[in-house]
Amino acid sequence: MMEDGLETQTEPFPEDHVQFEAVLKELRDLPKDDLEGKLVVSGFVDHPYGEDDQRCLECMYYLVHRKWCDLPELAVPVEPEWWCRLWRI
Amino acid sequence: MANLLWLQGGACSGNTMSFLNAEEPSACDLVTDFGINVLWHPSLGMELGDNLQQMLRDCISGKIKLDIFVFEGSVVQAPDGSGEWNRFAGRAMKDWVQELSDVSDFVVAIGDCATWGGIPATAPNPSESVGLQFLKRDHGGFLGRDFKSKAGLPVINIPGCPAHPDWVTQILVGVATGHAGDVTLDEFQRPKTFFQSFTQTGCTRNMHFAYKVSATEFGQRKGCLFYDLGCRGPMTHSPCNRILWNRQSSKTRAGMPCMGCTEPEFPFFDLAPGTVFKTQTVMGVPKDLPEGVDKKGYIKLTGAAKTAAPQWAEEDMFVV
Repeated sequence: MMEDGLETQTEPFPEDHVQFEAVLKELRDLPKDDLEGKLVVSGFVDHPYGEDDQRCLECMYYLVHRKWCDLPELAVPVEPEWWCRLWRI
Repeated sequence: MANLLWLQGGACSGNTMSFLNAEEPSACDLVTDFGINVLWHPSLGMELGDNLQQMLRDCISGKIKLDIFVFEGSVVQAPDGSGEWNRFAGRAMKDWVQELSDVSDFVVAIGDCATWGGIPATAPNPSESVGLQFLKRDHGGFLGRDFKSKAGLPVINIPGCPAHPDWVTQILVGVATGHAGDVTLDEFQRPKTFFQSFTQTGCTRNMHFAYKVSATEFGQRKGCLFYDLGCRGPMTHSPCNRILWNRQSSKTRAGMPCMGCTEPEFPFFDLAPGTVFKTQTVMGVPKDLPEGVDKKGYIKLTGAAKTAAPQWAEEDMFVV
């Protein structure tokens, strides 16, 4: 899906934990198996993002060995060079 | 023999309950082994009514020598600075506090309310509560910045909500047995022996902190509580993971985030909704970083830690 150019919602980046929670709430309202919906709402892109080249590799929720996002609301396979707007360090 | 008097202002009695559970040494040991004479204590004192008032007046007049004055709870100054909202033994408690502090060799503040004002002093602070020598981080408090007890020391602050029982009894023994000179204090007048290290020191989750693996729920056995659940262990000075609670556990060992209760700002963010048990972030980076670590260093550290993380760090290694 990512390679096929899936358009995702990368903005706005949640500036604080309140805005972060708002995105999480949107994710919770999705059906658990709605992979496309999760990718869109969380704003995934398949490359580093922003001034600091943020990427999944440095994100708190990235599990290196499983290549997996451990954020309970997401729980999707991810690559280290990806990024999403729930990035948190 | 050292005479000790313990009074309680704006408080929940939590520190008294903690003190009575002390083990190393116990409250009884203070009397039997270390020569402390408890003149009066809210839960142990025998004197009542006129007899208690007379005893307090005798302390102030010098008829009874007061070696150690222990205060638990905030100094309540409402309404309008009169202190009438917290009366004790026929007058405002704050007046007893002032006069007893002036005649005592040592003054010891126990718990957050007595040290920094604690929860009673949280905005909007209707009880006009202050700590004995601090209001939150501001030096001054009820007795004033320059206060020194007769032995020449400022108020000895033993914070915590509550203070660990053994922190209390060990300091009381130190003072009562002539070792007050060994009790060095930090900038917030906390004994360094307890408050120079961090809650994180000795935390069993340190490996998860190092490899940036987060716990996302209370009680989860895997993961560090700092990244998501608002744990203040890396920023809080306390020995909670060195001197364990009930000799066997601590908040973080049980899967509960440290709330930073030995720091002057406690309760943080004035308990605004959504601020407790939530790590505050700014653009994805924790607002409060471990003490001594800057943002740039933190980001570099995270990249290196993630790259180096072993597989076991991602697994639940505990087997029931």
